[in-house]
Amino acid sequence: MSVELDVFVGNTTIMDKEVYQLWLNGHTVNDAVRVRMEGGVLEECEASAEVLLSDTMDQFRTFQMCERLLHNPAKLANQLLFQIPPDRQAMLIERYYAFDDAFAREVLGKKLSKGTKKDLDDISAKTGIMLKSCRRQFDNFKRVFKVVEELKGPLVENIRQHFLLSDTLARDYAAIVFFASNRFETGKRKLQYLTFQDFAFCAGQLINNWTLGSMDNLAEDMDVDLDKEFLQGLKDLKILITDKDLLDQHKSLVCTALRGKTKVFNEMEANFKNLSRGLVNIAAKLTNTKDVRDFFIDLVEKFIEPCRADRWSPVEMALYLTHYTNSAHILDTFRYQAVWNRYMGVIKSCILRMYHD
Amino acid sequence: MEIVIKDIASSKHWQEPLATLEEARESTDEPETRDAWWEELRQEIKSHAKALGCHAVIGYSESTSICEEVCILSAAGTAAVLSCRLLQDGCLDVLIEHRLSRQLPLFPSGSDKVEFDLGSSGSLGCEDLVPLGCGFCHIPYDELNMPFPAQLSYCYCCRRAKVPDVLFTTIDLPTEANITGKGCLIQARLCRLKKKGQGEGNATCISSLLPFMEYELHTQLLNKLKLRAMNALFGLRIQISVGENMLVGLASATAVYLSALPCPGGIQIAGKTPGDLSYEQYMCNMQRKVNDTINKNRELYQINPPEVVEELIGSPIPEPRQRSRLFRSHSESSDELSELDLSHGKKDAFVLEIDDTDAVEDIHSLLTDAPTPPGFFSCNTEVMPGINNWTSGLQMFTSVRVFRLSNANLTNQGLNKIFNELCENLLKSLYFKLRSMVPCCLCHLNFTVAVPEDELIQVAVTAVAMSFHKDQTQDSNKSGEDRAPMKVITENEEQLQFPLELSAETTPPQPLSSAKNTGPSDGSTAGLGRASSAERTSPLPEGRSRSLRSTRSFPSSSSVTVVKMTPLSFIPGAKITKYLGIINMFFIRETTSLREEGGVSGFLHSFIAEVFAMVRAHVAALGGNAVVSYSMKECVFMENPNKNQAQCLINVSGDAVIFIRETELEASSTQTQTANTQSNEDTPA
Repeated sequence: MSVELDVFVGNTTIMDKEVYQLWLNGHTVNDAVRVRMEGGVLEECEASAEVLLSDTMDQFRTFQMCERLLHNPAKLANQLLFQIPPDRQAMLIERYYAFDDAFAREVLGKKLSKGTKKDLDDISAKTGIMLKSCRRQFDNFKRVFKVVEELKGPLVENIRQHFLLSDTLARDYAAIVFFASNRFETGKRKLQYLTFQDFAFCAGQLINNWTLGSMDNLAEDMDVDLDKEFLQGLKDLKILITDKDLLDQHKSLVCTALRGKTKVFNEMEANFKNLSRGLVNIAAKLTNTKDVRDFFIDLVEKFIEPCRADRWSPVEMALYLTHYTNSAHILDTFRYQAVWNRYMGVIKSCILRMYHD
Repeated sequence: MEIVIKDIASSKHWQEPLATLEEARESTDEPETRDAWWEELRQEIKSHAKALGCHAVIGYSESTSICEEVCILSAAGTAAVLSCRLLQDGCLDVLIEHRLSRQLPLFPSGSDKVEFDLGSSGSLGCEDLVPLGCGFCHIPYDELNMPFPAQLSYCYCCRRAKVPDVLFTTIDLPTEANITGKGCLIQARLCRLKKKGQGEGNATCISSLLPFMEYELHTQLLNKLKLRAMNALFGLRIQISVGENMLVGLASATAVYLSALPCPGGIQIAGKTPGDLSYEQYMCNMQRKVNDTINKNRELYQINPPEVVEELIGSPIPEPRQRSRLFRSHSESSDELSELDLSHGKKDAFVLEIDDTDAVEDIHSLLTDAPTPPGFFSCNTEVMPGINNWTSGLQMFTSVRVFRLSNANLTNQGLNKIFNELCENLLKSLYFKLRSMVPCCLCHLNFTVAVPEDELIQVAVTAVAMSFHKDQTQDSNKSGEDRAPMKVITENEEQLQFPLELSAETTPPQPLSSAKNTGPSDGSTAGLGRASSAERTSPLPEGRSRSLRSTRSFPSSSSVTVVKMTPLSFIPGAKITKYLGIINMFFIRETTSLREEGGVSGFLHSFIAEVFAMVRAHVAALGGNAVVSYSMKECVFMENPNKNQAQCLINVSGDAVIFIRETELEASSTQTQTANTQSNEDTPA
């Protein structure tokens, strides 16, 4: 004796947020029923396990039928098969495209290719996120990447319009796309302490300040690529470390400004030349694609680690970077103020974000 | 002759006027033969009505169930006496308003028709004034000339006429009826095994089973009605489906407590073997459970009939029996459960005799009917009596379940239990699914049973969940306003700037206009209306055009029109401004890759979703934004999992309409609109 067939179809498609989340997380129907039972929905509504199973099956089926529509969210609003109120549509899309930071952290900067897809098993094991969910998130990354790759104009806006996502989520996706296309190295051990949100913040800074689109809205090129001209210009900053006078002058200006205001003054004074060399060298190397990939590891090795060794506090770090940036303006023989500002603005906010345990 | 009824305000129903006739027939392919059968059946219905002293059958419906070469034809209706009094001069102008607004709710689906037997119309009695709230319950006979034995008492509302103790009817509850508390859905379910057979023998076998099934369903209904402390059934639908080796019967109705009828007595359980102590103990337990259930239900459905009626009116005829009954109901509600002889020695005592294990099962099944969860109400009529303040929250749904009986050696009891559970679980699932809508009422909850194969039982439900405001549910004054949306504002010819010139002269009478005499059909009004429109070819009134535009241009950002669907004849809080015509669509889907499409459930799920989508798209294409009186008339599903194949046929119908929210309407309407009631000839069965 068994229920051979059991369907429920509403004129307005009924969707339970909780069940949707279970589906997105990659649970099987039976798992989902168990989770729901533990969640106490039965006591709440005087239902039996059978009822719950039937309900879960129905909803999973509905979600499955909706899934292909969700691959192109704009279609969801214009399809006729399911009558879904606009707020529900938004919820469906937002949650479908939502991802786990832990997962995103793992694939960040990796090529969104079949090769990476094969590693999903390992990522799933490592993060504890179900494989099905990993696949969905990976496919979402890939899909978004493919669509915006070809588009002109601002990256975040493109993602938002094409996938009808909220601003925050669109920004996160922009970061993923940006990292994937520039192939930033994020997997090194020294970078493990950084979270996805740290990187996403940095990506936002880079997108807003260092890409071609950031300077010129009408630029033909996209937000994904760094401004080549700007990178070329960064080479000129080398003068700050190659010219001995300039370096000394810069150091004395910063030291004067910071004297008495920081506990780590001595360490700072001793390390100034090294730190400055580190930052300027990173700038000078950015024309090289390979060195672009190492941008974050370089920042950590050349700047963050020495500072951490000397136990700078974040406040001292901020103070130092502010004076370090501003003092360069007073140097009379230093002519590359605009480039310096554009460079240091991003470096400063990135370092401050990345400077934690 | 079929006439859409104009008024039954003072019509009379009788206890068990329901004449359900069933005939098992060997089916033939000739339509003439079938027509003859139907003719025979209708004649029988008419003669039954006549025998009951009634000259009309209302709430009439016909159905068939076919298995191989056997076909069961069923017809059911409520015998009634219609009074012409309300249509006569004098009363007319007073009551006309009632009539207009009442007309649609009484005959919602359009399938309810009245068959007048003109021969007996001479006996139409125009008696003295009958109160609206209880008049339809009064018996049309005098006590000595009853066509069948029944227990009578004086009407609890007016105290003048006599009423039966129980009323079963197939019609929706008249809007003006006085009821106490809320109503609820009642179902009687029954399975009967039969031997596989062929031809005439099979038909005979089925025919011999039918009366017993009818009887048992009826008994179940009566028991369940008593258990809910109610005294009348409305919207009764009995469906008996035939399969190769079994018959399945399902009766659904909406139970209410009619204030005019006496308070139902409890159920007394009587055992056959007194003396056995443990047995007596058991009986006592049962009795207590039954009493508890009754009391619980009384509370749940807010049934607190006024017990002081006698003093208030000063009963004209002191009747000892009546007083004792009141007393009894009083003592019942108190907690003296040990008193087993609750209704001892009285005729209306409802005794359930437990004489064998079957009866024990029956009682158990009575008690296992799960109550509707809090916040939910359900009925199979258009709306729940006692609830008027609907919100615009509306969710129509279709649910289909197929159950496979894998055990070949089933008994009738086992089968009953399974079928009972199937229906109960389905209901529970519905409540669970729609829990976000509470407080809400599942309206028009109509089950359809079929036995598509040897070991399969299929149950399909289409209903609508409507949420309502929790407070002031009892505000009966509001009912008049709420019914108002059911009035239809027809877009008359006068409002069109370019009336159809040709239609009057050239078009022959429409073949479909059998409804000519019932109301304006599109074809006939085109000609009639034109004469007047030619005189005053005024352009559209300002307000009117605005209101229409606002419904047609949908402000939503998406290009897809939102189309509401409901099995009811109205949309709460909205006014139907135009009927766009009948939707009657047949769909057939086949698959040869059943597994790949998610099995039978996946296949049917997407199919039903598609059917909804196509109906919506069709309505949107006509410029409408809703389907009313929607029904799924047929859902035939067949599968062959071994071949990875399945087929399904679905037939749906309804009326495409344009509706406008009353809030929108208020903003734009200061002009008076002639509420031209368009009777539901738009929706023939």
